[in-house]
Parts: sequence; structure tokens; C-alpha cells
Amino acid sequence: MRLENKNVLLEIKNLKKYFPAERALFSRAKHFVHAVDDVSFQILEGESLGLVGESGCGKTTTGRMVVRLENPTDGSIKVLGKPIEEYERMEYHAMVQMIFQDPYESLNPRMTIFDIIAEPLNIHNVGTLEDREEKVSQLLQEVGLTPPDSFLWRYPHELSGGQRQRVAIARALVLNPKLIVADEPTSMLDVSVRTAVMELMMELQQIHGMSYLYITHDLAVARYMVNRIAVMYLGKIVELAETEELLHHPMHPYTRALMDAVPVPDPEYKRNEPNIIGNISAPIDPPPICRFYDRCPFRVDKCKTDPHPELKEVAPGHYVACYLVHEGKIK
Amino acid sequence: MAVLKVEDLKMHYKTKKGYVKAVDGISFELDAGESLGIVGESGCGKTSVSMTLLRILPENAEFKGGHVWFNDNGKMVDLVGLEEDEMRHYRWKGISMVFQAAMNSLNPVYRVGDQIVEAILNHYPDTSIDAARDKVAKLFELVTLDPKRMDQYPHQYSGGMKQRAVIALSLSCDPRVIIADEPTTALDVIVQDKILRELKKIQKELNMAMIYISHDIAVIAEVSDKIAVMYAGKFVEQADSTTVFKRPMHPYTFLLMNAFPSHVGEKKKLFTIPGEPPNLLNPPTGCRFAPRCPWATDKCRTEEPEYREVEKGHYIACWHPLTEEVRKDAFRK
Repeated sequence: MRLENKNVLLEIKNLKKYFPAERALFSRAKHFVHAVDDVSFQILEGESLGLVGESGCGKTTTGRMVVRLENPTDGSIKVLGKPIEEYERMEYHAMVQMIFQDPYESLNPRMTIFDIIAEPLNIHNVGTLEDREEKVSQLLQEVGLTPPDSFLWRYPHELSGGQRQRVAIARALVLNPKLIVADEPTSMLDVSVRTAVMELMMELQQIHGMSYLYITHDLAVARYMVNRIAVMYLGKIVELAETEELLHHPMHPYTRALMDAVPVPDPEYKRNEPNIIGNISAPIDPPPICRFYDRCPFRVDKCKTDPHPELKEVAPGHYVACYLVHEGKIK
Repeated sequence: MAVLKVEDLKMHYKTKKGYVKAVDGISFELDAGESLGIVGESGCGKTSVSMTLLRILPENAEFKGGHVWFNDNGKMVDLVGLEEDEMRHYRWKGISMVFQAAMNSLNPVYRVGDQIVEAILNHYPDTSIDAARDKVAKLFELVTLDPKRMDQYPHQYSGGMKQRAVIALSLSCDPRVIIADEPTTALDVIVQDKILRELKKIQKELNMAMIYISHDIAVIAEVSDKIAVMYAGKFVEQADSTTVFKRPMHPYTFLLMNAFPSHVGEKKKLFTIPGEPPNLLNPPTGCRFAPRCPWATDKCRTEEPEYREVEKGHYIACWHPLTEEVRKDAFRK
């Protein structure tokens, strides 16, 4: 897909979300988990951006703020140049939709497939009943649940995991959104079914031209789904680049360790041992220095004394937050 | 000589709607120090295989035939025919297991070290408590846990540490065979990497046989000497891991291996497998993969292919094994 001359769809600036940690009853919280801490990025129209990281890195919290399921502590989120809190709720959700990880939990078991997919149309008062039936049938066709008539009046429990996720995708699409936040949409699916759902999401993007904010822990899946990858570590984006550039020239020590830790489906491939110290901890009141300091095998004195490094462009379109990379000591 | 030899093992679950044929004729052999990876999708029966081997089955499980020969110092014992109290002698000491989400199998109100000491004393009643504690300390070192943590409770451990403690527990009675059923599935990749490395190292050091069960083909590729691919209650292919990845002959293996994305190397085309895995209440007649197989013929849909050795150590159940030509052709389409 050509992305030159495209408008900025989503613009996130200095986004923060702090959750109170260990609050006693009636007392004010003294400690905070810095779940998302000063995150900035953009998504263009028709572009897919992947947020990749381990559990607890803040990727899901970021996605939830974008769909207004969570209010930011600080920072701004703009869609088409307008801050999201200035949109009417209804208007906003016609533009931004979400697909959740677990298709067994995200569909109401007491509603038929038609009711599930048509619910956004009801809420937004779009069309007559006949129009809605036609729209839902057309979407079922698009997501590969054919013939649509045989699915319309069934219930989620009658469908397999892959089919349910297709229903969730159809529901997200029904209002023709400009942005879909997809939180690990294929991680619960089996391998043989997963590829088909991944391909479906890419085809639908070709047809409808929407953007994806694709949240995943799986670098290999992200490789097939997104134009650019942002790697998160404890609430910070540590590296951001075009997908193949990132996978072939990872620069941040964390990105490198993460890539070395992912098993490769080839018995003859010899992986490097990930070069990383210790274990991940929750970012409760983290010191202002580099968030990766404790685990970084390359750290120098500067890393301990200076603030968390900025996300700087070190090659065209390739951003890294690491002093050693900025100074050319890691290439 | 094989430490474990499984012959035509069958176990079905009885339900109101009929029998679910979860394990339907599984055969394999395992030598000391060798690791077998069993890979398959959810519901294919891979966990049921491990439960059947250890005979830790729910009430509605019915054993339908086959043998599990365990090498007890040169004498082959059929675990299937044993009484429950005899079986207990082999469970944990002969074959032990690390469960899926095993970190939750630690008792939260006992110190972690004590739980392992208890397991040792149960199986070796003559051991003194001090000797057992020494052994646990050694096991902790083996799985890279600080022995000082023996006197802590499970909630003081991280997920990865709990998983290590459970591996130490499963090694506590010097098993000859260890079954690891998705032991890293709930963990993040960096922790998973450490545990996989440790598990492989320990297995080689202690010359244990290992059965590693997972849906994750990449993990299976890294830990297994040989791989069995399971589909709908049966093994469809088994061979050394390189052969399974580079020269698979069963269409399911071939498609599965190429449906799995990799983050290294060139970006390859991903294959999709049409349809969904079958319901094991009424598996399809003939080859169970036939309804989803792009190469299936009428014969596949009516006659069940035999699971046979097509070259040394390479077993498949397919009427039309894939050739190099066909595999190359599939990439061109």
C-alpha cells in the first residue's frame, strides 16, 4: 500500500496513564503504576501500526484509551486533527471500533449473530430493518461466513472460535469505521484457522481502507499484519520503525533481546541467547532514568544519571530511545 | 533400548452424545535422552495422550486398548495392566509431568521447598528430611532458582519462578521420562526462552526422555529430536524434526508448518487450511483430514489410511504422500 500523501488519522502525543497501586480504603493513592508513560505516535489513513511488547508493557492500555474505554491521565489523542473528547460519543464510535482478543467473551451469548452485528446500527439508528438485514448479510459474506442466511439466526455458542472472531470483525466494520483497534485478535485461535483470519483482516483493509492499531505480543504475526511496529517496554515506546526495517535492523537492546527470545519454526535455526539481565517488574513509581536500565547489558553511567532517552530518529523513519544508539555506540 | 514404548493406545471420553475419540490409536517409541514433540491444535487430543500415559483420567474416560510399555531396569512393564497402587510406583518416579499452567498447581499455604520435600518423602520414605532438603536445594540450583527461596511461599514467586519450581518438583523423584504439556504457554517470551533452555539442558544432563506437548510449532522445533503431528485423535506423521519441517509428507503437516509465521529470514507466503478441525464425537470417515485436504481423493474420503513407516523412522498416515514436486508446486500457486 502506498502511504505517501496520506492524511494523519490518529495522532497521539505524550499520552500517559497512571493507575493507583495499593490504595488503602478512603486514603489517596501514594504510588502509581505508570502503565503508559509519555507515548507519542501517529497512524496515517489506511496504515496499520503494530504495538508489540510483553504483558504489562502498556500496549492494551494504550489501545483502550484510543477507543475511550479508559481516560488518559495526561496527553492528547487526536483523530483527524480533533481531540477525541471533543467528538460526540456516538460520532466517535462510528469512526473508531475495537476487536477484542477473546471471541468467547466478547460476543453476547444471548444474542443472535444478526443482533450482534446489527446492534451498532440500532444504536446509531441507521436504516430500516430491511436495510440492516441487507447490510449484515453483506458483511457476513465479506467476512467469509457464507451463506449468510445460515448464520444470521444462530447464536455464538454454535460457532467455532474462528467463526466468532469473524463475527466480531463484522461487528467492528458495520459502521464503516476509519480506525480499528485490534487487541490480539488472533492469539486465541489455532494456527490452521489463524492465517485465514489474518488474511481476512488484510483483505478488508484493502476493500474499506481503514487503519489498524494492531496490538500483539507476537512479532511474527505483526510482521504479516502491519506497516510499522512500535516496540513497548514498561509504558514506553523504545523503538519504532517500518516492519521489515525493524526486524532486520533492530537497534534498541530490548528489541534485540525480544527478537532473540522468540522461537523460530525451523529446527536448524540457531538462535542467539537473548542478552538481557534479570526479570521484568511492574513500573510502580519508576525512577526518571531509562526504563530499561535495570535490565540493559550495555548500560553506561550516562544511562543512570540522565532522564529516559527521547525517541529519536536515527535512520529515515527509524526511531530509537537509547543513548547508546543515539551516540552511535550501538548500530 | 526404548525407555517407553506405546502401542496403539486408545482412550475415549463417554459423553451423553456418544464417545469422544480423543486418543485413537497412538504408537511411538522413546529412548533415554531423547525428546519427542507432540504438536497439534486445541482439541486434537494431545493432552489426553499425556493423561492416558500417566493414567490420571477423569471419570468419564474409558480405556479402549493398547499398551504402554515402560522399561523398568530392563524389564518391560505394561502400565496399562497395573493396579492403581502399582501404578503409583511408576507415576512421578518413572514418568512425571509438568502441567499446563502448572504455576497454579503449587499449594499457596505451604512453603515451596516443603512441597517438594513432601513429594520426595512420599516416594522414598527412607530418606531423612535433611537429605530431602539437600536434594531440593540441588534441584533449585538446577532450575536456576536461589535455594534461599525454598522457605518462601508461592505468592512470593513470579510466574516464571513458579514454573521453575514446578519443574524442580517434577524432577524430584528422578523420573526416566518427563512429560511437559505446554509448560511455557502462559509466559512471556523472554521467560519462556530461559525455561526452554533450562529444560533442554537438564534433560540432556540427566539423560531423561522427554515428551513435549505444544500447539506452538516454533517451540516444538527447538526442543524436539523427533516430532509427532497429531490431528483428530491420531498421529498423522512422525519423523526427526528436520524431516518434519523440511520434507513433510502428510498434507496436514505441510500446511501447518507453512501456516506458522516467522520473524526471521525472508517473509514467506503463509498457507491457510480451509475449514475447521472435526468434532471427535463423529470424526469423518476415511482419512480424518480429508474434508480439509486440498489433495484428497475419493479413496481418502472412504478408506482410512494406515499409519506406516515409509522410510526409516518416518511414519505417515496418508494415501497420497506429498513429494518434493507437489510441495514446490504448492508455493507457486
